[in-house]
Amino acid sequence: MRRLRAALGAVMCVWLAPYGSIAAQQTHVLIATGLGGEPQYSAAFMKAALALQETAKTKWSVAPASLIYLAEDPTKNPQINGKSTREEFTKAFLALAQRAAPGDLVLVFLLGHGSGEGSESRVNFPGPDPTAADFKAWVAGFAKQTVVFVNASSASGDFVKELAGTNRIIVTATRTALERNESVFANHFVQGFVSGEGDADKDGRTTVREAFDYAKREVAKAYESANKLLTEHAAISDTTLAAMVGFGGEAPSTDPRVISLIAERRDLEDQLNALKARKDAMDATEYERELERIATAIAEKTALIRAARGGK
Amino acid sequence: MNTASRRFLAPLIVLGVLGVVGTIGAVALPDVRVSQVRRTPRRQVQALLDAGRYDDAERMAREGGAALLATLGDVHRARGRLAAADSAYRAAAVPANPGRRVAEIGIAELLWRRGARDSAWKRADDMAAAYERDPSRWTSDDRTSAARAYLLLGADAKWVRSALATFDDAVAADSSNIDAMVRIGDLFLDKYNAPDARESYNAVLRRAPNNARALLGIARVLDFQDSANVGEAAQRALNANPAYADAFLFFARGHLEAESYDSATTYARKALNVDSTSVSAWAILGAGAWIRGDSNAFRAAKASAERLNAQPSEFYAELADAAVRNRRYADAVQLARQAVSLDTSSVRALAVLGTNLMRTGDINGGRSALERAFALDPYNIWQKNTLDLLDEMAKFRTIDRGRFRFVAPAAEAELIVTYLSPLLEEAFDTLSKRYAYTPPTPVRIELFRRHADFSVRTVGLAGLGALGVSFGTTLAMDAPSAREPGTFNYGSTSWHELAHTFTLGKSEHRVPRWFSEGLSVFEERRARAGWGANVSVDFLAAYKGGQVRKVSELNDGFVRPRYPQELGFSYITASLVCEMIYADRGASAFAAMLIGYRDGFDTPNVVRRVYGESMDAFDKRFDDWFRKRYASPLAVIEPGDGRGEPSGKFILEVLSARALLQTGRLDSARAALLRAQEMFPDYGGADGPAWYIAQIEADRGNLRGAIDQAMRITTRNETALEANDFEAQLRERLGDFAGAAAALERMLWIAPNDPATHARLADAATRAGDHTRAVRERRAIIAMGPADLLEARYQLARALAASGDVAAARREVLAIIERAPSFEKAQTLLLELRGRAPRSAPR
Repeated sequence: MRRLRAALGAVMCVWLAPYGSIAAQQTHVLIATGLGGEPQYSAAFMKAALALQETAKTKWSVAPASLIYLAEDPTKNPQINGKSTREEFTKAFLALAQRAAPGDLVLVFLLGHGSGEGSESRVNFPGPDPTAADFKAWVAGFAKQTVVFVNASSASGDFVKELAGTNRIIVTATRTALERNESVFANHFVQGFVSGEGDADKDGRTTVREAFDYAKREVAKAYESANKLLTEHAAISDTTLAAMVGFGGEAPSTDPRVISLIAERRDLEDQLNALKARKDAMDATEYERELERIATAIAEKTALIRAARGGK
Repeated sequence: MNTASRRFLAPLIVLGVLGVVGTIGAVALPDVRVSQVRRTPRRQVQALLDAGRYDDAERMAREGGAALLATLGDVHRARGRLAAADSAYRAAAVPANPGRRVAEIGIAELLWRRGARDSAWKRADDMAAAYERDPSRWTSDDRTSAARAYLLLGADAKWVRSALATFDDAVAADSSNIDAMVRIGDLFLDKYNAPDARESYNAVLRRAPNNARALLGIARVLDFQDSANVGEAAQRALNANPAYADAFLFFARGHLEAESYDSATTYARKALNVDSTSVSAWAILGAGAWIRGDSNAFRAAKASAERLNAQPSEFYAELADAAVRNRRYADAVQLARQAVSLDTSSVRALAVLGTNLMRTGDINGGRSALERAFALDPYNIWQKNTLDLLDEMAKFRTIDRGRFRFVAPAAEAELIVTYLSPLLEEAFDTLSKRYAYTPPTPVRIELFRRHADFSVRTVGLAGLGALGVSFGTTLAMDAPSAREPGTFNYGSTSWHELAHTFTLGKSEHRVPRWFSEGLSVFEERRARAGWGANVSVDFLAAYKGGQVRKVSELNDGFVRPRYPQELGFSYITASLVCEMIYADRGASAFAAMLIGYRDGFDTPNVVRRVYGESMDAFDKRFDDWFRKRYASPLAVIEPGDGRGEPSGKFILEVLSARALLQTGRLDSARAALLRAQEMFPDYGGADGPAWYIAQIEADRGNLRGAIDQAMRITTRNETALEANDFEAQLRERLGDFAGAAAALERMLWIAPNDPATHARLADAATRAGDHTRAVRERRAIIAMGPADLLEARYQLARALAASGDVAAARREVLAIIERAPSFEKAQTLLLELRGRAPRSAPR
């Protein structure tokens, strides 16, 4: 532990150096799956992890060096970068810390069987299990980045209070460490990003809040359709920040014409919101006519933006 | 076993070897193990009574003098000599008589039977109070009397607990008190605790293996648990006591339920020969007469019951029960009302009233009656379950559409109604024409997402095997989500249940079960290819093995199946009888038969009217028809016993083909499968030759051939989810989207809760130009609460646009953009629609 702190201290010195002001936000991702115990769990963990990894690569354009997947058995798939041991975690966090610039986004996604409570909460990984306290130390260095830390394991609830902090969103599959039954949260959370179904406002970018809400809703439905009592209640630390932090979407344009069109469209969207606020007080026909006018204008603006970007 | 009951076992073992000495006369005692212990004279008389040796019992009681006067009263009572019993009891009910407390409770119970409830209650209350003041000098028989007094005081939990504890004390005081032990079993069973009742009866039988009361108790437990061999168990009781009135009544009720009215009457008369004061026996006679429409016999039975009790609530309650067993629910309500008017505290009558008000659609009235019944009898698990379910159903959604009122869980109500409403409207029109009968509307249909809830709705308990039930114009059934996908077709089930609405209504609820079920399955088959239970290998083997009942006995196959599969086989047989009638006489014969039943004719007479032949001849006619129709498969299937695995050439060929498939010898496997198929061309099982041949053909690229084989299953098997999926895939590959849509549509009757199937069907329908169906499917996906609601609504908007309903498409897309202004696909669609005229699609 002392060695890690020393290493992170060095990284902190690097982060304090000045950066250029227009550097685009980059995303860095660490995915880690734990011991399955039984083949079906190992397979399920890996399936979810690979799907998330693929989405990060193809939809979020995460650079290969910023995308690390650790698993219980690296021989199972070439996409796995290493074994999910404490040592490999240390290396992975160090590697990402070296790459991450201030303002970047760091996603940590853990999936496995959880146990323990409080700072001793843990996920069962090969070898000595890293605890919530270990992860707290590892992410402490990302003070200038926004960290999204997802522990989608069973009994993960105590990670919220252990890791919560400024510029951090902590998501857990369960509300407490006592919810130890097999959890289905991870699949739905990942699915929210992978399929785009989690993108509730259809802006092409899935926020953490959207993915969380999606997963929570789908978990409840899954239990209900199986006629089972809900035994897992996902938790999130900062819903306000979670509503702003997202993955995917188009990169910001530097073309002044596009910037101008986007601003005009935003203005129309504001008009739409204002219209919606007046809906109850308006005549229905008038409301629909106005809605159609603004919606059509937004659509036309989007078409212009697309054309300006060189799209069809 | 509860604590009270458990408590008595230990002292019972100790006291068992400390029997009280005493014999009277030279009467040979019944050959029961308890006789090995020397017993008191009262015990000996009781043993003779239990063995049905009433003359010997009476002689011995008389010889016992004053000490056995109360026992003599018991003997008289068992023989229905109530006046003599009353005299004997009153003579015994004096301070010095050792049997005075037995006499006192005897008097109280006789008063109760005559309807003098207040007097009976007062005597019981006095006895209970005396016992509670100082029970120390009460004998075992006295304690049994005190326990009986508690039971007269009511069904309240405190009286029941006191009764049970006092019975326990009675047995603890004298382990040879078989009467108390049997009464413990009876009490458990009356309070719906079959396991403890069984244990209590078994405890009796360990001491007295031939005790008829305990043997009948076991039969009642088996009946309560819907177990097999009920009849055999009851027969053992009759063997032990050939003049056992309660056993005769038990058989009489069974026959009444099996719609064997003559047999029911015979057994009721046998009971009356032993005890002419049995109101239950008169009630069963009355019920049989009432069901047959024999008003003279009914009036005679009623008059007899009224002579015994001026307000014979029990008589009407028994009639109401009989009406229920014969599916005459509205009549049951009227009869139960009459029973309640004569005795407002009759739990039985209130329960029948409540249950059947619900069955006839009066949910609030039903709840009210059930709540009154439950307040009087808080042990009643049926009432508790039903009241709990009603609380749950308060959250259900009710949708009135057309001639139907759908009541279903809110989450899936809209989806279910999307499909069931048009299907049932079609069924209503079809069946109205076929049966020349129009039921009152709306027909209420309740759907339950938990099978246990459906079961409680139907019979008050979980565990019912049926998928649906029809009470006439109220139907109840499993919702599709109640069953594993691929095991249940809710379309055919609803059609089946609605067919009952017509056959019950046309016959004024007098159609026997076998014919009503047969017609319902037959109507399923006519509704859609593949719907309805079909002839299986198991069925053919059982038929060949003589395990399938003749038409004349078919009702017993529904009411008292002898082996687990017999009920299912009875459905198939009944439907085939209908198929034969249809082929022989046409559909008009059905209406004629239903009218025959309505007019009070039984099956032999109805058959005679339609076929002009005896029941024996009709049995033979069907057997000949069946053996001719299924000659080919019957020749290659060995006779079976209805229980084991079938065997024969057909099975061997299929097994051989499977083995060949596993070793990769496809040509040989295919040849074997084709041979098997030729033996039994109508086989529609998803594990049969067609399935394997279809796979082989598909692997070889012969998609048409594979489709032909898949269709052998999908047109014969209503739950063939996998085969329909396979057929749909093959058709999609061939670009036959209309055909694919048809297969996917069939899948939706089996597994409607998979959004992927709806999406596939929407796509196939669009490609086939069937935009109306595509729109329906897109709406269905939305009704399912999809994970991505906006995407689903966007797909609906596209489908609406494709269907030409531009106005609706525009409304939909605007609603989407209102919620998600950045949704680019929706924006694009809005711009596309801008140039199109805002007209609605043709309806």
